[in-house]
Amino acid sequence: MSVMKKIEAIYNNRGDRARELHDAGEKIIGYFCCFVPEEIITALGMIPYRIQGSQTEAIDEADALLEPMACPFARSCFNKALKGEYKFLDGFVAPHSCDTIERMYHIWRANTPSPFNHFVNVPHMMGPSSDAFYKNELLYFVSCLEEFAGKKLEIEKLKDAVNLYNHRRAKLRELYELRKENPPRLSGTEITKLLVAGMGIPATEHIELIQEFMDEVRKRPIPEPDGLPRIFIWGNEIDDIAFIQLVEDCGAHVVIDDLCTGTRFFWEDAPKTDDPFDGLVQKYLGTHCPRSLSTQVGEREEDLENRFGYIRQFTADWSAEGAIFYIVRYCDTCELEGPDLKEYLAKQNLPVLMIEDDYSTSTIGQLRTRIQAFLEMMI
Amino acid sequence: MDTQSQVKTTAVKGTDTAREVRPMVKDIYKAAHEARENGKKVAYMMVASHYDEILRAMDIVPLPTENYAGLCAAKRDMDRFLLRAEADGYSQVLCSYARIGLGFDSLRKELGHIPEGSPDGGMPLPDMMIGSSAICDPRFKWYQATSRYLEAPTFSIDVVAPPPQADLNRVRDYYINYQKEQFQGLIEFCEKQTHTKMDKEKLWEAIRLGDKAWQLWYDIDRLRVAIPSPMPSQDHFSIMVAGHYYTGTQKAVDFYQKLYDEVKYKADNHIGVIKDEKYRILYGGGLPPWHTLWIFNYFESFGAVFAIENVYRGFDPVQVPSHVTDPVDFLAWRTWLRATAYHEKARQNSGNPTVEKLLGIIKDYAIDGVMFHACRSCRATTVGQTHIKTELGKYCDLPMMQLVSDMVDLRDYSEAQWKAQIGAFIDALEARTDQE
Repeated sequence: MSVMKKIEAIYNNRGDRARELHDAGEKIIGYFCCFVPEEIITALGMIPYRIQGSQTEAIDEADALLEPMACPFARSCFNKALKGEYKFLDGFVAPHSCDTIERMYHIWRANTPSPFNHFVNVPHMMGPSSDAFYKNELLYFVSCLEEFAGKKLEIEKLKDAVNLYNHRRAKLRELYELRKENPPRLSGTEITKLLVAGMGIPATEHIELIQEFMDEVRKRPIPEPDGLPRIFIWGNEIDDIAFIQLVEDCGAHVVIDDLCTGTRFFWEDAPKTDDPFDGLVQKYLGTHCPRSLSTQVGEREEDLENRFGYIRQFTADWSAEGAIFYIVRYCDTCELEGPDLKEYLAKQNLPVLMIEDDYSTSTIGQLRTRIQAFLEMMI
Repeated sequence: MDTQSQVKTTAVKGTDTAREVRPMVKDIYKAAHEARENGKKVAYMMVASHYDEILRAMDIVPLPTENYAGLCAAKRDMDRFLLRAEADGYSQVLCSYARIGLGFDSLRKELGHIPEGSPDGGMPLPDMMIGSSAICDPRFKWYQATSRYLEAPTFSIDVVAPPPQADLNRVRDYYINYQKEQFQGLIEFCEKQTHTKMDKEKLWEAIRLGDKAWQLWYDIDRLRVAIPSPMPSQDHFSIMVAGHYYTGTQKAVDFYQKLYDEVKYKADNHIGVIKDEKYRILYGGGLPPWHTLWIFNYFESFGAVFAIENVYRGFDPVQVPSHVTDPVDFLAWRTWLRATAYHEKARQNSGNPTVEKLLGIIKDYAIDGVMFHACRSCRATTVGQTHIKTELGKYCDLPMMQLVSDMVDLRDYSEAQWKAQIGAFIDALEARTDQE
């Protein structure tokens, strides 16, 4: 089987591998977003599983329990849980990433409780006191998880887990390097499949898959220049290929991103520190999510640079010629961040198309005309 | 929708004291304008962030931007601000309080002055903006976006609360420490802006006044267990101005003392909001429909009075341990105690602090039915309402309804839909009474 076939098999049947491991006696811990350290779960001998929704399935059962003005990604995840698709989860961990996920913890726990349920409070403010608070939250999380696992966390195992995930991060960054080529030999659609597939399998297996895929890509012939625009994607949860594929089908290369399901979760390493928790705090609180508020620096222009400088670096290094924002509706922090980022990128002479959508493939088609018009404008 | 109901937004009040609130609202903006003229510092701020007393102690004039959005809605002068924010790229589902604030600031920047005819003279430019993560996400993020329209130093604090299942003995110290550090950070920010050191005695005094006002407010709400109801929810949505926008001042204490006397007189003498009180309704949650507060009077036309509510309430009084002798420590402890007040009850019963609070209210206030208001643009007070309703239903057998619109955006409101729903709700209340 080709590596892409393997990736597609996992991508199309998300949960199957985790279910298989659960049935074999492994403990699977489901979690939301980018603020629950997988390292801790792994170090305690359990398998982290990033909870995903489905952009293709209608949200039906959740409607009776959750308001339609809640984030449709969260509603979709909950819908799947209500339908029994997450029965393989031995644990459920929700971080306080935003208002909806915080509520989700209570609602999920009340309706489809796992044997282990936990809430990790994540500060919105950045600074030394936030670091100390989050570290305490992680230590409390560890003590609860230890109780559930029936064993104590060994610091050496945690350090090993930090190394493991840093290794995966390094591999993903290496993979992203290949996207700098013009035209790139791999598509954004392929990358999305690989990233999403990796969220539901053990990190060791994902690393193998990334390596195999990279080896295969490197053997691909160098394509002829095609003059298609290179696009940077910004937004929140894109755990389906539909949108990225649409952009590429419209005549563009998606070459870099800042998404919860993309660079946001893997770009930065957890630094090696004497106390591994310090490194975890630095890594996870450093996640570039609009839900985290960095302290204001200087006046407007300086502050925007402080907030979005890393994006300028991304777009410059990957030679992006345009940006498309894909905001899953009802994400207040993204809705507030988007116009600021648009202004910042405009000053870098990067055209921006801002799209707000319902996390559903049924609406994707309606976006085709807007994307085509945007890409035409760029040429 | 008839013309008259389109124009009318406010409700007929049940108490005389509630009618004194309107000048207090005007004074918020008047005081801010005067402060700017007199060289005093003015801060855009978020109410109920547990930091109000710090601003009072530092002579910073608070300018609550959310309240201004509510005022615009009550005056039916919100569309120009909402549309402006949307034209600037803000989503139509983003918190409409924030949209009004951003739209107002955007228009002011373009015009170079406060937009003509802005309600109550509009908001002056602030000297600083202070957000918080208490209650919802936009409250800490909004002012960052506002920096698009005005240059003012911005600061925000975290307000943290553990989930009810947390082992409070294990997490208490670091929650309180973090909260204290957040308040400390805010004080340092304010000291930098005002070039004045905070006087801890002044902070103690503001805390004393704040707690006194909120104790009186709590006592007033306890009087409202009386049958017939001496004060309805539409009054609450006015009288909360003293508690939330004048926190830490003698004015709030005096106001609540006067209101207490009036409500007590009414309770003692069985003077109800309406002559024939048939049903006692709990406003279970969701921000009020500022654009259509007269809807409470519409319920009253069927004999249904909103006896009590669960939004914009003052916190129940808490007892900070006597070993706490520093005012900043006190604020941190008070925040913790307020946040965990119903956790123990929740652990012993439903698992949900809000459900426990509402169950207590339903019993104490002899509630016949519960109404929730789902706001299209407010995640914090809307997401979870259906869950709360479902959980409540496991412990009590009451008619419950959920009206949907928005706190200020009239485009999400349908009068015909509401009246149909209210009709069905009244029928359910009636059927329940007949059964009994």
